[in-house]
Amino acid sequence: MENLSKAIKEAARKLFAEGKVDLIIGFEEGSLPLRATPCFARNAQEAEKLIWNSGCNNNLAVYVPQKKGRIGIVAKGCDSRSLVGHLKEKQIERENLVIIGVPCQGMVDRKLLEKKLGNKELLSIEERPEEIVLKGDGFEETVKKIELLPDNCKTCKHKTPVIYDILIGEKVEEEKEADEFEKIKEFEAKTSDERWDYFSDEIKKCIRCYACRNACPLCYCKECCVDSSQPQWFGKSIELSDSQVFHLMRAFHTTGRCVDCGACVRACPMEVDLRFLNKKIEKEVRGLFSFEAGINPDEPPPLATFKPDDPEEFIK
Amino acid sequence: MEEGKESSWEPKIVTFLCNWCSYAGADLAGVSRIQYPPNTRTIRVPCSGRVNPLYILRALQNGADGVLVSGCHPGDCHYLSGNFSARRKFAIFSQLLEHIGIEKGRVQFSWVSAAEANRFAEVISEVTEDVRKLGPAKRMVKKRVE
Amino acid sequence: MEEKIISKEELPELLANITRRYQVFAPVNKGDSFAFEEINPEDKISFTCANTKKSVKELFFPQRERLFAFNLHKKDESKVSALSDRKRVIIGVRPCDAKGISIFDDVFNGKDFQDPYYLQKREDTVVIAIGCNAPERTCFCTSTGGSPFSTNGSDVLLVDLGDSFLAQPVTEKGEAFLEQESVTRKADQSQIQLKEKVIEKALSSVKSQIKPEKIKEKLDKNFDDPLWTKVHEKCLGCGVCTFFCPTCHCFDIFDETGGQTGERIRIWDSCMFPLFTLHASGVNPRPTGKERLRQRVMHKFKYFVDNNGKVACSGCGRCIKYCPVNLDIREVLEQIQDQPLER
Repeated sequence: MENLSKAIKEAARKLFAEGKVDLIIGFEEGSLPLRATPCFARNAQEAEKLIWNSGCNNNLAVYVPQKKGRIGIVAKGCDSRSLVGHLKEKQIERENLVIIGVPCQGMVDRKLLEKKLGNKELLSIEERPEEIVLKGDGFEETVKKIELLPDNCKTCKHKTPVIYDILIGEKVEEEKEADEFEKIKEFEAKTSDERWDYFSDEIKKCIRCYACRNACPLCYCKECCVDSSQPQWFGKSIELSDSQVFHLMRAFHTTGRCVDCGACVRACPMEVDLRFLNKKIEKEVRGLFSFEAGINPDEPPPLATFKPDDPEEFIK
Repeated sequence: MEEGKESSWEPKIVTFLCNWCSYAGADLAGVSRIQYPPNTRTIRVPCSGRVNPLYILRALQNGADGVLVSGCHPGDCHYLSGNFSARRKFAIFSQLLEHIGIEKGRVQFSWVSAAEANRFAEVISEVTEDVRKLGPAKRMVKKRVE
Repeated sequence: MEEKIISKEELPELLANITRRYQVFAPVNKGDSFAFEEINPEDKISFTCANTKKSVKELFFPQRERLFAFNLHKKDESKVSALSDRKRVIIGVRPCDAKGISIFDDVFNGKDFQDPYYLQKREDTVVIAIGCNAPERTCFCTSTGGSPFSTNGSDVLLVDLGDSFLAQPVTEKGEAFLEQESVTRKADQSQIQLKEKVIEKALSSVKSQIKPEKIKEKLDKNFDDPLWTKVHEKCLGCGVCTFFCPTCHCFDIFDETGGQTGERIRIWDSCMFPLFTLHASGVNPRPTGKERLRQRVMHKFKYFVDNNGKVACSGCGRCIKYCPVNLDIREVLEQIQDQPLER
């Protein structure tokens, strides 16, 4: 990790020295243990703050749409696929983007970390290649990193960025075995009553803070359908059916665009299982239209195109 | 629900009919005096591609027991590709609805052309029966003041 | 008002008695966090959590509250929401959350306006706070005019002495409540001294160097400073900080109608949302995240001080813990404090 931090700083210095970027978006030390926070460096001096560790879990692509100037951005595999989405949707020009790709083995999920700790407060950590040592008042616990990875990192098939201008470190071997749709298939085997109960129980937790929407790199609408008041499509309160409509529509709006970066789930303070919706849509898009989001910026989005023989068994 | 109320319940089905084909087909059915169940409330749209999935959710929130979206046959769209767009959208959306537990058969889709008056009546009958079997919609219904 | 002692052995029975006659709320373990929920007489309460995830403000200011309902068919029967008249006790409120209640008192029970929905709940509730023997690293209550053992906003303050709780009545309501529940054993000198020691230890563990007077001084002058452009850059503009904050009180009011019936509801709103201060004309004096973040900091550390003499932040640290991008308000305040005064 130390080497990666050094290499990122080096790459940033070089980019500023060569005048190739106006801004570099990366990570710097956060104010909590194992928490990196987005950093906006505008010169070589500010770039000295850049770091890399297993707490770099934000998707920095969220800051890209409509940003002016030439932007350097530190991107993990999932972040790079979000950037492919931005290029496809013309939110930024390719020549204005310098992608500093960092192959990633997964980022620690803070919520799993908190569950591990129970009530204890984490005061500092020590990061090792496969493990993390958690330290606090009167305790020290070593945990395997793999136990702290969220689901989407465990089944990630694109650990090495799919698009980059500079690659930091070595390419990582891609996961071949894990089935990324395993949980969805388990749900599909349940009855509709069970799925409805699960969906309702999850959405009941929602407090309509919109952290999911705002953390998602692809939710960049100037006016979200939630804020429409003439007409108001669905209510803004935490009444269950209003929250359900919000989540269904947000998930549907990411059809063929969502790359399962997990930013929404990480941002959600109430641990709503949002991937229950997004992952199902991703599975259907893959199955029905043979399309995977965030791989090829020139491939048209699946809902913006059609084939004469598209599946239509569901239509009378 | 009491016995009496249960037996007198009639499904309320919101239908989105595209102006050029399905609506015209419904019109022809009317003019030809073809009988079909009176349970539908029709909203005329220019094209099935115009139908935003949000409308379907809003109908369910407002208590619709069933929703039907009907458009032109592929290749016959007045706007050339509107229904192709709709086909892709609704392929995903219908899967999403089923996934979250909206009973299969509440939200349906069809292609009905302007000349297919009898077929329109058939489609409506089938959808009404499907929804009647499923019972009144309880999921996604917004709690309103009594 | 004299301080009383409750031994930890007699606490469960005391709580069980209270629970039979009042609606009692206490922090309940939900697995990975705590939440204020109604408890039954048999439930065991422990005060081991540093703080609940959502603040206690929900119990006075629900996230969705019906103000009244109406029915066009029965025009004479429009119902104003029956204000609940159940007496409540909330036990285990940390002083930071209790300060939030005092901020709400300033806003919802001020000289210009008294909100009946809030007032009813406030009058019918006894707030039993518990001081923090071990503040967390994210706590900075001492930088907002508070402390781990502040009595601001509560009726009774409990101090954990190890084998017993010292119960300090704060208001007349609190004193009367303790009397009523037969908590009459007076704390002796050694117990009071122990309490002082506990407080001293807790105070020394809150390391924040932020001074609210210095912040106010700078905020009075730095409205146009480029610092605001820098600090807001990573903010996503979601509502997590405002929703978890015990002092934030923005709300929106809607009529939700369906056919002939409807209700007017009040819901939580946030200054971070894009519709905040959006005028009907389309003009928005706070058009971007920068103006809104500046507004949030200024409201808490300047405007509320100007209007009500209090910092509208209690230093609970929830915004630091739950912010998706770790935008730490302490860092923002430190940057403001360290700025040279002349610009």
